Amino acid sequence: MMQVPGEFPIIKEDNVTHSFCGLACVGWMYQKIKDSFFLILGTHTCAHFLQNALGMMIFAKPRFGIALIEEGDLAKHEPGLEDIVAEIKADHHPSVIFLLSSCTPEVMKVDFKGLAHHLSTPEVPVLFVPASGLVYNFTQAEDSVLHSLVPYCPEAPAGKKNVVFLGSVNDVTADDLRAEAEELGIPVGGFLPESRFDRMPAIGPDTVLAPIQPYLSRVAVKLARERGARVLNSLFPFGPDGTRVFWEDLAKEFGIQVDLRDREKAAWEKIRQQTELLRGKKVFLTADTMMELPLARFLKSAGADVVECSSAYINKKFHSRELEALEGVRVVEQPNFHRQLEDIKRDRPDLIVTSLMTANPFVGHGFIVKWSMEFTLMSIHSWSGVFTLANLFVSPFNRRSKLPAFDETVWLEGVMPSAE
Amino acid sequence: MRLAFWLYEGTALHGISRVTNSMKGVHTVYHAPQGDDYITATYTMLERTPEFPGLSISVVRGRDLAQGVSRLPATLQQVNEHYNPELTVIAPSCSTALLQEDLRQLAMHSGVPEEKLLVYALNPFRVSENEAADGLFTELVKRYAAEQEKTAEPSVNILGFTSLGFHLRANLTSLRRMLQTLGIKVNVVAPWGAGTDDLRKLPAAWLNIAPYREIGASAAAYLCDRFGMPALYDAPLGVEPTRQWLEGIVREINIVAAAKGAPLLRMPALRAFSLDGLSAPSGVPWFARTADMESFSGKKAFVFGDATHTVGVVKFLRDELGMQIIGAGTYLERHAAWVKEQLQGYLPGELMVTDKFQEVSAFIEEEIPDLVCGTQMERHSCRKLDVPCMVISPPTHIENHLLGYYPFFGFDGADVMADRVYISCKLGLEKHLIDFFGDAGLEYEEEAALQPDTAVSSNGHESNGPESATSVATPAQATDPDGMSWTDEAENMLKKVPFFVRKKVRKNTETFARQQGESCITADVFRQAKESLGG
Repeated sequence: MMQVPGEFPIIKEDNVTHSFCGLACVGWMYQKIKDSFFLILGTHTCAHFLQNALGMMIFAKPRFGIALIEEGDLAKHEPGLEDIVAEIKADHHPSVIFLLSSCTPEVMKVDFKGLAHHLSTPEVPVLFVPASGLVYNFTQAEDSVLHSLVPYCPEAPAGKKNVVFLGSVNDVTADDLRAEAEELGIPVGGFLPESRFDRMPAIGPDTVLAPIQPYLSRVAVKLARERGARVLNSLFPFGPDGTRVFWEDLAKEFGIQVDLRDREKAAWEKIRQQTELLRGKKVFLTADTMMELPLARFLKSAGADVVECSSAYINKKFHSRELEALEGVRVVEQPNFHRQLEDIKRDRPDLIVTSLMTANPFVGHGFIVKWSMEFTLMSIHSWSGVFTLANLFVSPFNRRSKLPAFDETVWLEGVMPSAE
Repeated sequence: MRLAFWLYEGTALHGISRVTNSMKGVHTVYHAPQGDDYITATYTMLERTPEFPGLSISVVRGRDLAQGVSRLPATLQQVNEHYNPELTVIAPSCSTALLQEDLRQLAMHSGVPEEKLLVYALNPFRVSENEAADGLFTELVKRYAAEQEKTAEPSVNILGFTSLGFHLRANLTSLRRMLQTLGIKVNVVAPWGAGTDDLRKLPAAWLNIAPYREIGASAAAYLCDRFGMPALYDAPLGVEPTRQWLEGIVREINIVAAAKGAPLLRMPALRAFSLDGLSAPSGVPWFARTADMESFSGKKAFVFGDATHTVGVVKFLRDELGMQIIGAGTYLERHAAWVKEQLQGYLPGELMVTDKFQEVSAFIEEEIPDLVCGTQMERHSCRKLDVPCMVISPPTHIENHLLGYYPFFGFDGADVMADRVYISCKLGLEKHLIDFFGDAGLEYEEEAALQPDTAVSSNGHESNGPESATSVATPAQATDPDGMSWTDEAENMLKKVPFFVRKKVRKNTETFARQQGESCITADVFRQAKESLGG
């Protein structure tokens, strides 16, 4: 364990934990960009991961697939993907193919950039997306996907001042954010990503990039560097507190002064029942989706006692406002799960926000648990997401209180013989 | 290199952890990049394990490779400290196997005693789930099984039951019930629920039962070679195979009993095997003879799965239900020769051997069988083709981990299989009748669209096509009794809501609007409603 120097103390551990690799982002990215195909150069492991952990066995012809590296391919200098790409084009007619890396070809030192370039045609570009578990966790490879899309965002001319929201959200949420911005008088340039490859937003020196997902620091930095775009440094628009600060800060970028304190107050009022329940509750976030910092900040604002907020990756600059708002909370990067387990058994938090892999066992140990992955699947952005967000934290408590008393010596007998 | 969307069998790593996750006091450490322990989620979600699976990851990061750092020794120390397992199995993943590290040497650096560590490094590009599980289990049996006295009472070991097995718990219950009726004790079940001490006492049993061709048969063969233990390899799938299985057990046990001078077992009356002890043990023989089942003799079935279930189910359908077999196949090339031999005379053509579900799907589409018995993937293919399908083989899915007692083995299992055949085929017939009489009403279509497994939606996106979405939404609008009007813009916003909650959102929005005294849903009203009602 080491202390990371800086204004806000972060503890860094060794990442012995349970989470998914960057390929997980395929689960929502292929659905977001509707004319795309996601091709993973990978192994049996990658295929098995996608079909099991993401529950994707149900699609017989999804817009993603694995170019499967078999034993005979290991000796080859360069993987020949021409036939596979031709097959994809014939069957799916995508406008763009994202070529995702994985661990094995990275160990083999496959030249992905060269490969993607070689496979690209003017009609159907093939874009390299680094996603392997050697480097990337869970949501982080969305950053890589957006990174690869940058050349396909037209250059916005200087003087064209508007906001481009950064991060994939569903169409309903996108409409909400757009409407809210317009109401505040903020011109909207679009979203990166849009739902279609040929409709990516124009970005230039007068674009304000508003990150709406907390795991996209690299593409933000790239756009600032290459296009001179400004990156909004604010809270992420989750919860009444984050949403108010986000919109006020964004408006400020456009020289618009707005005071949304009444709106924030009304939003808190709307979830008073929920916050009353959360007040004083000890909450532990074990690290999974990289949504942890803003979630913990919302919980803290709602009066909960966040005993630990762990996240796989923290960027001191990109996350600075969230870290500032979390002052006093124990923040851990790349946590060690064994240590967390000891702490949890000792401190007995009231709620644990944790991955699919560890949720049921924590319940088995008598804790109340929320799946962290749900926060990436639900519409929790901005004002219209407040209610959903608060309920996600409250529903496990309500559910537990509705269930009868549970004698584990009776009802867990024989459930897992290996543990007895 | 080929384009794969979905694979029947899991990885070697998966096979290894299925065995260790089954066992007490045994831990697996994956020496692998972030995310390769995704399989933990299938144990905790499908089997709903109330304890942390004995599985940790010694994370390999790109930076570690560049710097020549290995976290394996530290991870082993942590595992030892926190779980104190009797044995830790160390396994590389596909990517780290290529690094050709000396994992034994690295593991030694942890200071954990050598006898508590086992490096099980397979070639993950050559070995898959079942072979790895069978191999590791055999390895563990070799490591621990010790020569000893036989139990005084007749006893058996049940081998090959493994975490995430197909209807594992119910099958085990079915076998235990039958053995109890025979008056035979279960010495050890392994790997499911066994510790290393249990493996030590395996040779105390009189007989090994290894019904799964895929996992456990090799261990039984080893125990036969090394300790002279007899083994029964048959799977009691169907009524007659169950009777033969019972007779086989009595025969083998009595050989040992005779040698020991112990009293011989007698086969009890078959009614003793029924659930109430008063009836026929299975309803299948009578069911198959009833007049309404005559239509089954004309029904054409196709069977596809692992080795054990493909063989058992083909025989059950033809021999006990009188159906026609138009084809069969397996995704386990390693066992294909055995399946062919077992199904000699049962198949009109060659056994299909493939791990490409598209080939299986193409066959089904070509033949349109009356019944397909397959894996979850065939169920999915058949749904699109509107062909009746029942799932008879792993890989398991959440629907194969139900709470009720649905064995496939034994007399109880024969009843379950026959029921499923009947329900699958009958529903198909009903559906065709509805189609035929032109009354394929909206309700039916909607139900089909609402099947719970049609979508795991991410970020709120719905994965079903827009066609099904509009077909559901449009009539709902027409039947709106209050005549609340919607602007086109609001209607468009509503269309973006996933179809399965669209009706509800429409209703809630209108209720909200009425409360607000609005008579028309504009985009603004819709937005206010969303904010007020919470998305």
